[in-house]
Amino acid sequence: MSVQTQANTRTRTGHLGAGTWWEGRSGLIVPVIMAAFSTYLLVGILTMEVAEDADQPGPQFFPMLIMIVGYAITVLLTIAYIRNPEPVDVSDELPAEAEEEKAFSTPVTSAVSASRMDPHEEDEPSRDRQALAEARAADSKHRTHSDFVSLAWGAGGFAAFALILEFAGWIIAAALLFWCVARSMGSKKPLFDLTVALTFSSLVYIAFAVMLGLNLPSGILGGGF
Amino acid sequence: MDAVLSLFEGFTHALTPMNLLWVVVGCFLGTAVGVLPGLGSSMAVALLLPMTFALDPTGAFIMFAGVYFGGLFGDSTMAILMNTPGQASAIASTFEGHKMAKAGRAPQALATAAIGAFIGGFVSCFLVVFVAPLLAELSTSFGPAEYFALALFAFVATSSVVADSVLKGLMALVLGVGISVIGIDSVSGTERFTFGVPELFDGVSLVTVTVGILALGEVFFIASRIRRKANDNTINASGRPYLSRKEFGEALPAWLRGTAIGLPFGVIPVGGADVPTFMAYGLERKLDSRRKDPQFGKGAIRGLAGPEAAGSATTGIAMGALLALGLPISATAAIMLAAFRQYGLQPGPLLFDRSPELVWGLLASFFLAMIVLLIINLPFAPLWAKLLKIPDPYLYGGIAVFCGLGIYATSASTFELLVLLGIGIISFVLKRYGVPLAPLMIGMVLGPLAESSLRDALLASGNDASVLVSSPITIVLYIVLIGALVYTGVGRVLARRRQAASTTAKVEEPVS
Repeated sequence: MSVQTQANTRTRTGHLGAGTWWEGRSGLIVPVIMAAFSTYLLVGILTMEVAEDADQPGPQFFPMLIMIVGYAITVLLTIAYIRNPEPVDVSDELPAEAEEEKAFSTPVTSAVSASRMDPHEEDEPSRDRQALAEARAADSKHRTHSDFVSLAWGAGGFAAFALILEFAGWIIAAALLFWCVARSMGSKKPLFDLTVALTFSSLVYIAFAVMLGLNLPSGILGGGF
Repeated sequence: MDAVLSLFEGFTHALTPMNLLWVVVGCFLGTAVGVLPGLGSSMAVALLLPMTFALDPTGAFIMFAGVYFGGLFGDSTMAILMNTPGQASAIASTFEGHKMAKAGRAPQALATAAIGAFIGGFVSCFLVVFVAPLLAELSTSFGPAEYFALALFAFVATSSVVADSVLKGLMALVLGVGISVIGIDSVSGTERFTFGVPELFDGVSLVTVTVGILALGEVFFIASRIRRKANDNTINASGRPYLSRKEFGEALPAWLRGTAIGLPFGVIPVGGADVPTFMAYGLERKLDSRRKDPQFGKGAIRGLAGPEAAGSATTGIAMGALLALGLPISATAAIMLAAFRQYGLQPGPLLFDRSPELVWGLLASFFLAMIVLLIINLPFAPLWAKLLKIPDPYLYGGIAVFCGLGIYATSASTFELLVLLGIGIISFVLKRYGVPLAPLMIGMVLGPLAESSLRDALLASGNDASVLVSSPITIVLYIVLIGALVYTGVGRVLARRRQAASTTAKVEEPVS
């Protein structure tokens, strides 16, 4: 999994360099994930220790099929992305899409995006325009496409939660997670958030660990219950 | 007439004050847990499993029925209000349901879902009582080759119904099926793709993947574009929680169609209610596109009514199949099976002879649970909708904490939490590039079934691939499958051509 995330950041960094070949092709991360996963399967199949008397078709048979299809899809996706530098196509997130589409719209890309099954987009040109303007305003402050700072707060918060949970205990770890995610969502009141976070994690602890008897670590605050 | 008499007997067991109390408590707890984003009905049952061991078996299972159906109601409440379905079967409800809520019709959407689930559940419970033996026979005539055809059918159906791009849909599917082969091989006992990590011996848990993809990935995705939100989608949940006559009339055919689609799937192990909900959604969408003013995309009431009724109908029948055959259809049913075993009971035809009190009491309590749920969900729908007034940062903070809670509670391992984080990040990337995630989950649920049935079929025939198409059932399934593929393929090409023509015309005009 770490392989995939690393590859992810690399491709994204490429995307940040506006005007380079990578622009509009950051979607190549998708075939990269597919290739990484297929390779994981390949390595697993090659290193698998199969008992000699295993019935045929053995345990490698089905993963092998998946791996072959996986590589085939990787190739097809790569070709698709290289030939059509594709704008982001999450249909409910209009601003990003509208912004990129304007930047490098070719007949091919517009045909591709027009074929998406969202029949009502065209009916709302005013909303489109407004969204476009707002996206541009937002972009003057945030050049990157996705807000990686926010993302890092969220993902980092969860990683920290997972790692300190058994040591620090549920109340502290969960409060930290709550606080980090709240911050990643753009909350501007760190101290007030901290109060909310601690209250929330304590309530969850009381409801689930004390009342329902779930096994949540009490950690360094332990002994109280 | 035996069935009716037994059912009446069942009601006399279920209607004792204590058992009634358990139904109500179960329904309430189930709804509450189901409403919590990221926690679905299977987690509700799993979380409450230890609690019920304090009760006698009849009381415990009656409460389970409440929790199970309550979780389903709660799932769809959350799917509608926040776009975070707790269970794969609620995904189809998010498409139109959430759009309805965004359009200011949240209470009506909730009412549509509650009534749809009620209708589907009620009809299916009736059927369970009367035609359980027939359904059992149909299901037992399926061999490995048929199961494989069925799984393949489900794979293709989901990647063509949900996916705008077939390539991306297939990619998600391959990832899902690939994840499902991790762990100890059930046929030969070989360790696969674990690379010596003991936590992976049991494979990656479906709960982890579901929570990672649906809840945590969603949190990350929203975080990554929190500052570029074009408009504030505060959902006004106040208003009439009942449906107008017109809305009711519009939803009714969809409820009935959904129920009809959902019923047969209760005995077919294709991973529970997800496939029929998607099929019901696809059907309503198809029918809608033929109307003069297509409602889909704007919050179509029928796009919500169909899947809800289908999901509930499947669930009801699935409970019957579990009781009559001992066959777990979904993750939740598998947990219930484990609960039966805890009490030393083995579901199956014998259960009806050995403990008729329990079986018929349980069946009767299904009806009671449905009524109780309708009562606590219809008038209180706006109350559940109030959850949306929570400011975004705290709402998503809470969701993230519950993701951690659910996974840690079921696995008690840091490793599983890190797997969850990894899956969350990957699902964020996939979401950002428009890869549909439903096929991933379908692949994960049905992967093991597809693999074991394919291998069993080939094993029994000595690696003769023709066994896969040797029985009438498989041939029919494959013909329908090929027909559906050709049909959607032709439709797509035509649509693309039409749109290409219209965009070329547009491009020639000067762009502002």
